[in-house]
Amino acid sequence: MARKMLRDGEQKEYDFDLFVIGAGSGGVRASRTSAGFGAKVAICELPFHPISSEVVGGVGGTCVIRGCVPKKILVYGSAFRGEFEDARNFGWELDEDIKFNWKKLLHNKTQEIQRLNGIYKRLLTNSSVTMIEGEGKVAGPHEVEVTQLDGSVQKYTAKNILIATGSRAQRVKIPGEELAITSDEALSLEDLPKRAVILGGGYIAVEFASIWRGMGATVDLFYRKELPLRGFDDEMRAAVTKNLEGRGIKLHPQSTLTELSKTDEGIRVVTDHGDELIADVVLFATGRAPNTKRLNLEAVGVETDRTGAIKVDEYSRTNVPSIWAVGDVTNRMNLTPVALMEGTCFSKTVFGGEPTKPDYKDIPCAVFCIPPLSVVGLSEQQALEQATSDVLIFTSSFTPMKNTISGRQEKTVMKLIVDSATDRVIGASMCGPDAPEIMQGIAVAMKCGATKKQFDSTVGIHPSAAEEFVTMRTLTRRLTVEPKI
Amino acid sequence: MARKMLRDGEKEEYDFDLFVIGAGSGGVRASRTSAGFGAKVAICELPFHPISSEVVGGVGGTCVIRGCVPKKILVYGSAFRGEFEDARNFGWELDEDIKFNWKKLLHNKTQEIQRLNGIYKRLLTNSSVTMIEGEGKVAGPHEVEVMQPDGSVQKYTAKHILIATGSRAQRVKIPGQELAISSDEALSLEDLPKRAVILGGGYIAVEFASIWRGMGATVDLFYRKELPLRGFDDEMRTVVAKNLEGRGIKLHPQSTLTELSKTDEGIRVVTDHGDEFIADVVLFATGRAPNTKRLNLEAVGVETDRTGAIKVDEYSCTSVPNIWAVGDVTNRMNLTPVALMEGTCFSKTVFGGEPTKPDYKDIPCAVFSIPPLSVVGLSEQQALEQATSDVLIFTSSFTPMKNTISGRQEKTVMKLIVDSATDRVIGASMCGPDAPEIMQGIAVAMKCGATKKQFDSTVGIHPSAAEEFVTMRTLTRRLTVESKI
Repeated sequence: MARKMLRDGEQKEYDFDLFVIGAGSGGVRASRTSAGFGAKVAICELPFHPISSEVVGGVGGTCVIRGCVPKKILVYGSAFRGEFEDARNFGWELDEDIKFNWKKLLHNKTQEIQRLNGIYKRLLTNSSVTMIEGEGKVAGPHEVEVTQLDGSVQKYTAKNILIATGSRAQRVKIPGEELAITSDEALSLEDLPKRAVILGGGYIAVEFASIWRGMGATVDLFYRKELPLRGFDDEMRAAVTKNLEGRGIKLHPQSTLTELSKTDEGIRVVTDHGDELIADVVLFATGRAPNTKRLNLEAVGVETDRTGAIKVDEYSRTNVPSIWAVGDVTNRMNLTPVALMEGTCFSKTVFGGEPTKPDYKDIPCAVFCIPPLSVVGLSEQQALEQATSDVLIFTSSFTPMKNTISGRQEKTVMKLIVDSATDRVIGASMCGPDAPEIMQGIAVAMKCGATKKQFDSTVGIHPSAAEEFVTMRTLTRRLTVEPKI
Repeated sequence: MARKMLRDGEKEEYDFDLFVIGAGSGGVRASRTSAGFGAKVAICELPFHPISSEVVGGVGGTCVIRGCVPKKILVYGSAFRGEFEDARNFGWELDEDIKFNWKKLLHNKTQEIQRLNGIYKRLLTNSSVTMIEGEGKVAGPHEVEVMQPDGSVQKYTAKHILIATGSRAQRVKIPGQELAISSDEALSLEDLPKRAVILGGGYIAVEFASIWRGMGATVDLFYRKELPLRGFDDEMRTVVAKNLEGRGIKLHPQSTLTELSKTDEGIRVVTDHGDEFIADVVLFATGRAPNTKRLNLEAVGVETDRTGAIKVDEYSCTSVPNIWAVGDVTNRMNLTPVALMEGTCFSKTVFGGEPTKPDYKDIPCAVFSIPPLSVVGLSEQQALEQATSDVLIFTSSFTPMKNTISGRQEKTVMKLIVDSATDRVIGASMCGPDAPEIMQGIAVAMKCGATKKQFDSTVGIHPSAAEEFVTMRTLTRRLTVESKI
């Protein structure tokens, strides 16, 4: 069905109202919502492959193909080991050693991401978005070039161009680095490692540590700081660390890898402390960089920052008026729901007649270690930095009911941070089973400006872990704020 | 430590400021908070026994000893069967038939309730509450008689008396009814039934159906209506029923039991449809009645209603000015957190100088079937009844990620009910894994008067089930309200 162009009195005619480069979370959302406002939209994307590169990717993007979705599937798979351990004191007579068939899970995971890739393609088609396979680059303020698989180049003109090419895992430049893998490969390994070494302190490193440990591997996790998950609430980082250790992951804080080499027994890993380990797999989980190198941005004048991220204003517009960018390529908050928000706001602004800025306040998120961490609002450290009045900290640390029977020595920790002047809850966090599920509703409450009094006056759902959030009666500590001069 | 009486200028002197009859959720909460306001408090409770009667009970009450806590433990134990089934398509090579040792779980459950019973006793002692073991009854407006286990009777005087004796499972008067058990026995059975018959449509019946099914029994569930869980949202009741069937529970709607008799093969059960079953266990889960028969209430002038529940005003005061009642014995909303709320409000009113009415609006609750149901606010039916403007219904029905891999044919259903005039979310419900944990934060949001717009502007936590609550963009149906004359 041919879509009519949106006319607005200009003399130029374009092939499309909008050309989107990259069909990941942000790109697909922006395409569909723009088409919903009547725009004629095209989107280009690299051919599908679980492991990304400059020439392969796939509709659905990182989230669907090699991020959130496969990651969560592997976490589910891995978490069963803990369930089997817990089941015994509930009366279940399981064998000591239950075998895990990685290839079966890998196969089922791959099927699922392919299914979702197909769904995303249908979503685009059903929205009347023209899908083009190939590598897109910006050729001018209103021009996109797509290099197709056969090498041929097609040119398209568009009133607006949206760049949504996402990001890709970075590697560390140490001798033997070619022996290491990134998260792309880790999600699609042929064989499960028996011995895994992970370099990194962020959520990807921590999640893979939990995943491989649950699948039976020995895991050594190296990170530069004292604790992993820099930027998160320190008390929660400590809780996560304790849990990782409790589950048998070997932690190496304030440490990094200096050299990798191949031996008959596996990969020889040397650390900056002079230690040596042998590993089957070495994972670099040291950060992701925006995919902007081959977009031809300098020639067109689109500015990027030091990390390669595209600079945008509050409406996601680049310094070139007809060129916009959303998602990881802008390196604002690299989360799928944020890319979706940016994509929707872009569409409303450009085609909906309603200029809309994405709102970055109080965005909840989760780290899917086992057990998981979830947070919304300020950490204690952030609260103290920003405070103009005393900050009240309420914490609860308890053994969840399931663990009192299973015998698992693992506590759940929950925390509310309250501004004493307004009684508003300005931060909430939890490390324990189901934390991400629990935190979503808390995030809605925070969006409503919930006060501690409103939390406390909400009746609990019993028995649950979540009810602890509405029964924290006793102040744990008060952070006094010196008057600022 | 002897507590001084609170004086208020009256000439009479009492042994205590407050005498509480019954040390369950409401009684313990009221005792401790009243003592916290400086009151001299005594509490009496029957000796501990997992199976209650008119002469045995225990500190902690129904919730701790034979309700919420042991129920949840059994639900955890039972839910592992489903986890084992799910684990296979995640790669785990489990035996087809995994043996379940009920006695082990029973033992661990019993240990836990005994541990909690001990904790509750310590909580009372640490609050300087005088604990008296025995059966209490009201002897006069300021007089309580406690009959101790040895038969001796002690009299006590108190300025205020609080009745918090809770409720007990009712039995159905059919021939052979003595062969049936109630939930008390069900939580402490010697042997796991292979064939269970359950009569009842409420949460207790549904929960035990799930529990025994997970433990490997065949379960036949009989209830009077078309669907179980009368009073809950009809759409959600349908989902629960579908899930029960999907898990292999045999449902017998619009049916009841007419006769039980003992045979060599087990209990012979006859239904009103003329069907016959043989069962190892027949559970009556047909309701609970307030424990007021032996309290001597008529003699003192404390009014009760037809069900035997003590009539109270909004402050939990009975028809006798200084006699109060909280919890299940007043049959308002029979949930532990509500009893806790009533107990706290009572204390504030009587001893805290701050008359406080319990707030029954938007109280969340959960049914721990497998998977569970959780709700807060109005059902669709209630919303329509009360509506003065159109009611907007948003629903989401999806296969949770875990099931897309495991192959379990079970969908999660989520629902938001919105008042079109104010955009306020007036009801929320969910049937699916983790629903009770998810609903708690939603309940806080509702307490804050959250609008659909606020829900929609909250960024999702990804990947989770809960994020569906903030991404329901498409109206499912609009219920138009005829203008009321």
